[in-house]
Amino acid sequence: MIESILSLLILIPLLGSIFIGFGVIKKYIRSIAILFSGIQISLLIYLFTKFDLNATSFQFQESKNWIHLSLGSLGQFSAKYSLGVDGLSLPLLALTSLITFVALWNSTEIKEKFNAYYGLVLLLNASLIGCFLAKDMFLFYVFFEFMLLPMYFLIGIWGGPNRNYASLKFFIYTLVGSLFILIIMLGISIAYIDPYETALLTGAIQEGQSFTIEELFAIQKSLALQEIPMRQIVHSFDIQAMSDVNNCMPTSIFSPNSGWLLSGLSGREWGFWLLFVGFAIKLPLVPLHTWLPDAHVEAPTPISVLLAGILLKIGAYGWLRMAIPFFPKEAMGHAQILAGLGALSIIYGAYNALAMKDIKKLVAYSSISHMGFVLLGIAAFNVEGWQGAIFQLVSHGILSAMLFLMAGVLYSRTGNRDIDSYSGLASKMPVFTLISGVAIFASLGLPGFSGFIGEFFSLMGSFTSPLLMPIYPILGALGILLGAGYLLWTFQKVFLGKHYTLNATWAMNDLSLTETLSLYSLGVITIALGIFPNMLFSISENFVLKLLTNIL
Amino acid sequence: MEINFQFIGLLLLPWISALLVGLFAHKAKKHIASISISLSFIFAALTCYFIYDLSGQNLKIGYPWINMGRVSYFASFWVNSSAKLIAILVSIVGLFVQIFSKSYMEKDANIGRYYAYLHGFVGAMICLIFSDQIYVFYGSWELVGAFSYLLISFWHQKPEAIKAAKKAFLINRFADIALIFGLVGLSSHFQTTYFSAMDPMALDIAPTWIGIALLIGAMGKSAQFPFMSWLPDAMEGPTPASALIHAATMVAAGVFLGIRMFPFFGESVHLFMAGIGAISLISAGILAIFQNDIKKILAYSTISQLGLMWMGMGSDASMFHLWVHGIFKAGLFLSAGSIIHFVHHQNLNHMGGLRKQIPITCLAFLIFSAGMMGIPLTSGFYTKENIAGFLWASAENSPFSTYYFVLLGALSIGMVLTSFYASRLFYLIFLGDSREQNPRETARNHGLQIIPIALLAILSLSILVNLNPLHAEESEFLRYFDLQSFHVPDVWYWITVSTWILGIFLTYLTRHWIPKTNVQFLSIFWPSLFKLIFLKSAMVRWIEVQVYDRFVNKLARAQVIIAHLIAWIDHWIVDGILVGGISKLSQWMGAGLGRWQSGKVQSYWILVFVTFGLFLLFTILQRG
Repeated sequence: MIESILSLLILIPLLGSIFIGFGVIKKYIRSIAILFSGIQISLLIYLFTKFDLNATSFQFQESKNWIHLSLGSLGQFSAKYSLGVDGLSLPLLALTSLITFVALWNSTEIKEKFNAYYGLVLLLNASLIGCFLAKDMFLFYVFFEFMLLPMYFLIGIWGGPNRNYASLKFFIYTLVGSLFILIIMLGISIAYIDPYETALLTGAIQEGQSFTIEELFAIQKSLALQEIPMRQIVHSFDIQAMSDVNNCMPTSIFSPNSGWLLSGLSGREWGFWLLFVGFAIKLPLVPLHTWLPDAHVEAPTPISVLLAGILLKIGAYGWLRMAIPFFPKEAMGHAQILAGLGALSIIYGAYNALAMKDIKKLVAYSSISHMGFVLLGIAAFNVEGWQGAIFQLVSHGILSAMLFLMAGVLYSRTGNRDIDSYSGLASKMPVFTLISGVAIFASLGLPGFSGFIGEFFSLMGSFTSPLLMPIYPILGALGILLGAGYLLWTFQKVFLGKHYTLNATWAMNDLSLTETLSLYSLGVITIALGIFPNMLFSISENFVLKLLTNIL
Repeated sequence: MEINFQFIGLLLLPWISALLVGLFAHKAKKHIASISISLSFIFAALTCYFIYDLSGQNLKIGYPWINMGRVSYFASFWVNSSAKLIAILVSIVGLFVQIFSKSYMEKDANIGRYYAYLHGFVGAMICLIFSDQIYVFYGSWELVGAFSYLLISFWHQKPEAIKAAKKAFLINRFADIALIFGLVGLSSHFQTTYFSAMDPMALDIAPTWIGIALLIGAMGKSAQFPFMSWLPDAMEGPTPASALIHAATMVAAGVFLGIRMFPFFGESVHLFMAGIGAISLISAGILAIFQNDIKKILAYSTISQLGLMWMGMGSDASMFHLWVHGIFKAGLFLSAGSIIHFVHHQNLNHMGGLRKQIPITCLAFLIFSAGMMGIPLTSGFYTKENIAGFLWASAENSPFSTYYFVLLGALSIGMVLTSFYASRLFYLIFLGDSREQNPRETARNHGLQIIPIALLAILSLSILVNLNPLHAEESEFLRYFDLQSFHVPDVWYWITVSTWILGIFLTYLTRHWIPKTNVQFLSIFWPSLFKLIFLKSAMVRWIEVQVYDRFVNKLARAQVIIAHLIAWIDHWIVDGILVGGISKLSQWMGAGLGRWQSGKVQSYWILVFVTFGLFLLFTILQRG
């Protein structure tokens, strides 16, 4: 067993980024970046082989003290460097390193400053991996914020003509979102105690002694009776401690018994909604989405792939990891609103996509539509819905990568992204047509491809959930119909019909070997996941079951 | 060989064939058709052998597929008698279509792709027929639709073809939304996701809304009213593919769903199904008269005949007609293909008198048309009597007996229309004189086209089902596939005979009239829906650009304006007045005070004395 494998997962891209930053061997930069990404993938494969599917808690845990502050009468604060993997983060980790690999692989279009480019992509990868690994909310927040920086530069330097506007918009939107998260993070960490650390400080247990469930209950009981002096209370950012409402101090506004109200919402409701909105910007949820189309249009192809493939997933990850476990009752109480927002995103994104002439914008809006299914599934609060939502995250990561690569293939040949500029490419580019057909049919939810499983189980979960009215899944299903409309329309316009291109001199060569390899391997993955969905379901199953039993 | 093993082979073989054909399409272009036909032959033989090997038993097989918490879904399959019959139909028609295609498609460059699609279609269809688990059923249902899309748009340089393909796919998708909710509803009613485990005896029959949702899904696939407009358009695809998909198998999937759900529902759902069928039977029958395109007539006749199956409400009568119709309609389409191949067009205005040039096709066409009209000596006769008998028998012990007699009336009108358009089609193609204005050199009719047509014609004859041409009750065929037959009162025979006479008489009256254009089913449903979607999307787009994005940008701009305002305040007020003022003040004071610092000792002395004097004055005044 490799020691501290999780730290290595973060460290490798960081090292790679530093190595590339020095720019020693200019000629082989791309290969070196791919090499580092490959090492990360092989580590992950190793992780997969060692991952215990039956375990219900975090695995491969690492924990080191990081920041410890004594604030006198406010108690003590501790933020830890603690990492762990469970059924939710493992698929997303795999997706992250796969999509990064694909993005690096397809970065041949980057012609200038490629030292900085590859360095930043690896840096982005490191912070993404960190986000998915962090078990401590403070650590998560650090990675979450840090992610903005490479992304801002990647869009702002290598982007299209309107890149300054797009990158700034992206930056500000995300910053606002993280502000909400920051407020709640600080609020909760003040309101909640870390039972283990507190027990250590009060002397209930000794260092190295195991912390049993009885001792936990004892601490929580004395907390409820306000027997622990303030000086001896340890606040931490540990996500697990924050997920247990019994760790909440009875005097704080986040306590379920607190009578605190602000414009009709209790403290916990405020907490849930602020956290929800903070992550919803990242997803992005309608009406907080307008940064996404601009960012996608301006970003170079590999960055669009990264953005749609992984960055959007952090929003949903945040809900499942934090917003819902922290405030389960509040989330369930508003399930109807959540499902309504999900259905709105699905329909709204699909209608917008239908009106698009620019392929990249179309795919961007289709992302908004597809991420709506994630929220619809989450709002169901049952196994089917959540499994479907997690599946949809991974599936959309792969499919949106394929669709953006598809747009990139056209753009790199002609510099034009208008759907109307192309017609009948099937006769000139049969290999490209085949794989684009796979990507498009998979995205519109054809059975046998991964898109179907995610959408289907999200819909089924929300349809059978006692919390929701059936109108939301029906609206969601109409979104699938619209999805079939715009995707088929694109396919038909671009690939079928008589051959035509806006400019007759464009050389519409079929896929190069690089493009073929990446697109076809993604195609194989989506088919494999579509036929054997249990590959993914079995990983995330225990996470879903545990969370559901905890909150129901 | 182990029976489960055979079954897996049966499920996978078409997919493997599709892959093989697709992969080697470029390497062995010359032989790809022959390779594909042999694979298809192996498949058909294996299907027949497998069903023979089962010797009348049913088979259930499940493989672990998805675990959802405490529930696990098995990818499970159920081979029962109705599934067996349709599997034979699919594999045989599939084989014949492939044989026929060899010469029909030989000039096409992408023949490998075509054959791969055909195999894929058969694979999806076999999966659909045998599926027991509802999600497997739904999945293969959609896949069948996707292959239909691919085959319709096979000649993708033709704009009409891709339009028709998209229309077919979207209408089916629309109907499938209802289907999926119906299936989920069905599974939550019966607490199981397997068709074979759903037991209406133990629980109550399922609620009506579930049945109607499922039937809406089936309406899309079967091109029943009001979803019928996609099927005539789908005739843009290659004719042999139309024979397989849009005549014999895919459209029958809707009826197959009706057959699967027949026991789960009560009379209200059954009557809804029959009502839709009756509307389709008559309206498509009327539309078939107003076409001049040979394939469009066949498309409308397919809708009409499917309506007939729907009137059987998914009972054994529907099932029997499904088989018989599959055979004769595939034959009709293949014959039409052969005719089109022969005269190079499909317009009835330029046909006529072809009986001399292609006598075998003519004879086969006659048998198929007779089957469609339901004339004795063809098995079509039995099935029409069966459906009438089923309706009659149901009417006898039902509170809705009037409704059943209305259906019987609709059936007889439908039969008049059927014999009208069927005999008319035959007349306009084969009898009379040639209306060809500019005869081109006619292609020689290929033997490979004749063989499947002739075989299908033989299969259409009643002898294969039963020796007695009037009653099918004692038939071995029906017993083997566990089909019930129904008896009609004698008065129905008189009605039947008069419908034939009336239909043929109408043909005689209108023999010189051919419509100039193809009259389409009033496409109220489809274009308006499509326009509505685009309108809505434009509206949403407007909101997006004009409201949200503008709002966000305005918000950002407002920040910038506020920033400038604050910067102005900072510069002029904070920096200018406050900070600047204070610094000015201190400068000024410094300058003022600096004057005091003259550096002369006498001035300091004066200052000290003055200060001291003032201090004394102050203390004295205080005292006083």
